[in-house]
Amino acid sequence: MQIKTVVLTIFMLVAVTASAVQSVSAQGNAALDRAKVLRAAGDALGMIRWSDIGAGGTRLPAIDIANTMEFVGSGTSYSSGQTFKTDYHVTLGYNPPAMRVEMNRTGGGAPQHVIQTVRENFAWNESEIGAGLVAGKGTATPATAALRERLLQLWTLPYGVVKAALVAGEKTTVSSENGSTVITFPLNGQLAGLTVRATLDAKNFVTKVEVKPDNAALANLAFETEYSGYADHGEILTDIQSPGRIVQKQGGRTVLDIQIKTWESNNPYLIFPVPPNVKTVANSR
Amino acid sequence: MPLSRYCRIMAVAAALCFLPAAVLAQEFSPIKRNNNAPPKPSGPTPRIADGHPDLTGVWNGLGDNLLGVPNQIANNGLSIESESVTRDLHSGALIATFPRNTTRPLNNEQSERAATLLRRVGSNKPIYKPEYWEMVKNLDHNSNEEDPSNNCMPAGIPRAGIPSYIGQFPNYFIFIYPGQGGLIATQTMYRMIPADGRKHTPLQDLDGTYTGEGIAHWEGDTLVVDTWGFTSNTWFDQLGGYFHSENIHVTERFHRDGNTLTWTATVEDPDVLLEPWTTTPRVALLNPRPGAMLPESQPCSERDLSHIVTKEHH
Repeated sequence: MQIKTVVLTIFMLVAVTASAVQSVSAQGNAALDRAKVLRAAGDALGMIRWSDIGAGGTRLPAIDIANTMEFVGSGTSYSSGQTFKTDYHVTLGYNPPAMRVEMNRTGGGAPQHVIQTVRENFAWNESEIGAGLVAGKGTATPATAALRERLLQLWTLPYGVVKAALVAGEKTTVSSENGSTVITFPLNGQLAGLTVRATLDAKNFVTKVEVKPDNAALANLAFETEYSGYADHGEILTDIQSPGRIVQKQGGRTVLDIQIKTWESNNPYLIFPVPPNVKTVANSR
Repeated sequence: MPLSRYCRIMAVAAALCFLPAAVLAQEFSPIKRNNNAPPKPSGPTPRIADGHPDLTGVWNGLGDNLLGVPNQIANNGLSIESESVTRDLHSGALIATFPRNTTRPLNNEQSERAATLLRRVGSNKPIYKPEYWEMVKNLDHNSNEEDPSNNCMPAGIPRAGIPSYIGQFPNYFIFIYPGQGGLIATQTMYRMIPADGRKHTPLQDLDGTYTGEGIAHWEGDTLVVDTWGFTSNTWFDQLGGYFHSENIHVTERFHRDGNTLTWTATVEDPDVLLEPWTTTPRVALLNPRPGAMLPESQPCSERDLSHIVTKEHH
């Protein structure tokens, strides 16, 4: 009788414990899937890394090592009703978030040389790289109206997508659509009101990014970008994979089609100081 | 003797045999850590007769500056505080942190590439004048050929960081920086730094040197070493292509708290920088062994550069 009671008690304890474990596991599934998908996307890009070099007894966790990058390409861009042959040179960083796009456009009237820069809450155009920082060295013109569009270019690059989806936390959802994994998340800060939908391919590379405004006032920021031809395109190999081609469409029209020549991902020295006159204008708003 | 009792005795005997080895390993092997946060100070801060902290000692922890932690990552601004939190010490930004997804060690190539990225991911970068942006980037890009310390030249100041030995005397300090291989393969440097209230020699009267003319004074409990008169043949941080002119002026601050020494250096160079730049604070631990000594530096003999065929670098 005593043995039967003990066996019964043990059985009940095991059953209750198993049930509790199952319940916790079920609750954790959504978060686990999201974490797994974002980790896989980050790993595919090579942006999640660790190194214990020089310290045999230490086991540091992996961290996001993607910060500054520089890429050069050529192709076409569309502006003011015209399509231009375009040489495209981009420098960017995520800490702090900043991007400088330099374009040489030909084939649509007079050649154009534009340098469009953004950093955090500041956007400006430069007459030359670093204009406006030293007296007499070029002109920096505030471009406040372009702030969101430029930030969006940064956060819709593949690395920006993974970073922003991680920041969005539980608001990020993952799903499977037509056999592809889709990550959906809202942007925040200056980009609040915009939702990003990113599609991964079988290798977990970000291949398509769609930006959808939550309201009509932001309709001009709706666009989609396709990324293909991933490889390590840097002269200094880093194992970071970058796209070989970028195609951006807005309202069905191709506004940018760039074939990448080099993409240096080794956190090169790239800085984006805000010119004093740009700060003054932004702060007076 | 029953077999089970015999087994128990043998197991206890075996455990006793291995115990001394385990204790020794615990005492002398590097401490295993999952973070690179600076060490917390412990113990009192010893003081000399005039009340100032005594900085004398071997400041290399138990063999390196952070008890086996790869401090070059912290040096460049990232503090990995736990398995899930990493912070950029300069901007305060949180950096996404993940568990290692394999226990398989990285091979040398994977590890070097990751280390190259990790050392440069921090946001604390000097702000050069725009006309030098490309030059700095290219120096770093081609650092295998361009890094002045790769050819066994002195690291210079402040690149050398915290001296491994400080000797404190009434009117001067002795700093010793042993030569090293690895990240910066450099020759041994020493500095004799007066603290007798003298003024700097006018800059135009100094021949530029690797360690410059350093003069020390106290600001409260912080030792300040003010140095100018440098050659331009060095970079002022461990990596990054951070060249400078002969007009560079370096202010180092040393603050002892118990068994830790915190160091920062501020670099002013109006010829090439838009604004002064200050290093991320570095923290060294006092070597606790009473008989701690600096070993002889290995002769610096560079034999690798001619065999390097790619741009990959530290």
